[in-house]
Amino acid sequence: MILDDLLARRLLILSGKGGVGKSVVGMALAVAAHRRGKRVLFVEVDAALPAARILGDDAGLSSVNLDPPEVMDEYVRETVRLDLLARKVLDSPVYRRFFSAAPGLADLMVLGKVMVLVEAHARWSHRPLHDLVIVDAPATGHGLAFLKVPLAASEAVPVGPVGNNARRILRLLRDPERTALGIVAIPEEMAAVEAAEMHRLAAEDVGIVPRVLFLNQCHERRFTDEEEAAVLRLAAAGADGPLAPGVTLAGALVAARRHVRRRKLTRFYERRLRRAVPAPLVTLPYLHEEIGPQSIRLLASRLEAA
Amino acid sequence: MTRGGRRGRQAAGTALPAALRDKRILVVGGAGGVGKTTVAAALALRAALDGRRVLVCTIDPSRRLATSLGLERLRDRPRALALSRLGPRPGGALMAMALDTRRTFDALVERHMADEEARRRVLQNRFYKQVSSAMAGSHEYMAMEKLLELSGDPRFDLVVLDTPPTRHALDFLEAPDRLMGFLDTSVLRYFLKPYFVAGRLTLRVATRTGAMALRLADRFLGLQFLQDLSEFFLAFEGMYDGFKARAAQVKDLLRGPTAGFVVVAGPAPTAMDEALYFHRRLREGLMPFVSFVVNRVHPDPARAGSTKGGGRTRPPALDRALAEKLAAVFRDQQRVARREGRAAAGLAARTGEPTVVIPERDADVHDLRGLKEIGEAALKGKA
Repeated sequence: MILDDLLARRLLILSGKGGVGKSVVGMALAVAAHRRGKRVLFVEVDAALPAARILGDDAGLSSVNLDPPEVMDEYVRETVRLDLLARKVLDSPVYRRFFSAAPGLADLMVLGKVMVLVEAHARWSHRPLHDLVIVDAPATGHGLAFLKVPLAASEAVPVGPVGNNARRILRLLRDPERTALGIVAIPEEMAAVEAAEMHRLAAEDVGIVPRVLFLNQCHERRFTDEEEAAVLRLAAAGADGPLAPGVTLAGALVAARRHVRRRKLTRFYERRLRRAVPAPLVTLPYLHEEIGPQSIRLLASRLEAA
Repeated sequence: MTRGGRRGRQAAGTALPAALRDKRILVVGGAGGVGKTTVAAALALRAALDGRRVLVCTIDPSRRLATSLGLERLRDRPRALALSRLGPRPGGALMAMALDTRRTFDALVERHMADEEARRRVLQNRFYKQVSSAMAGSHEYMAMEKLLELSGDPRFDLVVLDTPPTRHALDFLEAPDRLMGFLDTSVLRYFLKPYFVAGRLTLRVATRTGAMALRLADRFLGLQFLQDLSEFFLAFEGMYDGFKARAAQVKDLLRGPTAGFVVVAGPAPTAMDEALYFHRRLREGLMPFVSFVVNRVHPDPARAGSTKGGGRTRPPALDRALAEKLAAVFRDQQRVARREGRAAAGLAARTGEPTVVIPERDADVHDLRGLKEIGEAALKGKA
């Protein structure tokens, strides 16, 4: 249900504190959308380990890792058109020091590029080049700093192309028909607090109401209540002995109790976030494997079942 | 390199305690989301309990950590925390503060701008309002300014600086340079000043490239913005040299023997690349490296469980389904623990630097006692 709603947009932006697995959730969404026959583009910004190594590169499922300075140069080149002159400006110290250091300008250019990607059409066709663009928003750590840039820019630059562009980007971001914002969190104090705050501030400061909250890395129940009780009993009695090759009972009981504690924490934060954030909450499991194509496919299936 | 050699031989367990004992500035860096703030607070607390007067300066702390540090009512003024229940050594004290970028920036303008009219113009400038609060680089720049101010404060033996969360760990070191490059009025003078100083439009600029850049700026940004901008720069002109001089001072300070860098990394193998990169850049920048802290490494359940009797004791009769689940949970956790342990050990092996491991805890850290335990783990948890 919620997945249908999300995938019907043209642009899906994922935001969240660093380390919560935004790109993993984004890749899983891309795979889920691709399975439904959509042509999906997954956009990252300055990612250390680009998603292409996991997603591969399919005509219907591709990814791009935007490099802000490059995006900026490209924009200037396109606007200036006359290549020789553009080069002269691009090479000049004024450009390097002023344009590339202007606070927020690079982020604005990146969002402008995202808008171009959303609006791109196939040649001689009305069909968009990408049905869905999924953006893994950079974790600036300052919550919504990245999404605030168009608003800040449209206020700081009242007229001119940069200001106009900023306003166009803002319209796209605020259009619930075209755009959905998803927040990613994990069941931990700081991430939960930040997710709740982000939800509030997105609406108050940027004028975008987040459509969904993904709670990633959830420790899901593995034991029944009776089994959990048995684990506690055995641990209290100091039970030990070989359980399986390379596994002692005492070690397994330690692992089991850790699991139970984490499962309870997961449930605690899930409940708290459900109360604090008025958006549908989708849980995704904690994975013990390293993230790779297989785990992304698994998470995509979980999204489809949500 | 003798320095590298000495550091290489230094046991992982001694680099951090030595730094907490001897350094005056400890910068805690790392990518966003790895627990920098918690590690910074834990290290500061450790040094305070050992008898030093320590200030931990943090940026955007989470609420619960802020509460535990007594920060909830304070903005940017150091505040003492009650340590008596943790049994500090005599003389030890911990103070905490949260950096408020906008206020630090405002205070700088107030302090260094003599002319009241110019001051008012800057503080009300549309462009300044954006730069001073939300924009990239200003947090980092203000952290540096604050560091300089605090480093000369006789109330503190040690200042622990939690760096702003950035896309890349390195941004913290480069952002001030970028901001300085941006604020460099000589660049602006190059094309903006002759443009506006007369109060009306003229395209007579020194060079053709300058004229091109100006036209480009006009095309992109529009006249109103250029006006705000040039006003901002004109007002700032007298302050720029001071900014630059202090930025240079901070750099010297950070390269000196009284400073040290701790790099915090998450336990995922992919996080190590970032830590390695940060380390390389620190060395290139001649910044004194202290230690890696690999935070939140999952413990191996085999180590926690008894292994002595495990092989011989007969296990009690278990339901088969339960036995299978228990073994599966054990193996899942062990797989994670081994992968993370290998990653941390690899970091130490590849750099020859002290690397400590802080085990993942089953509960969130939100009081001084929890921070104390983390500090203790940081001092003994060798990779």
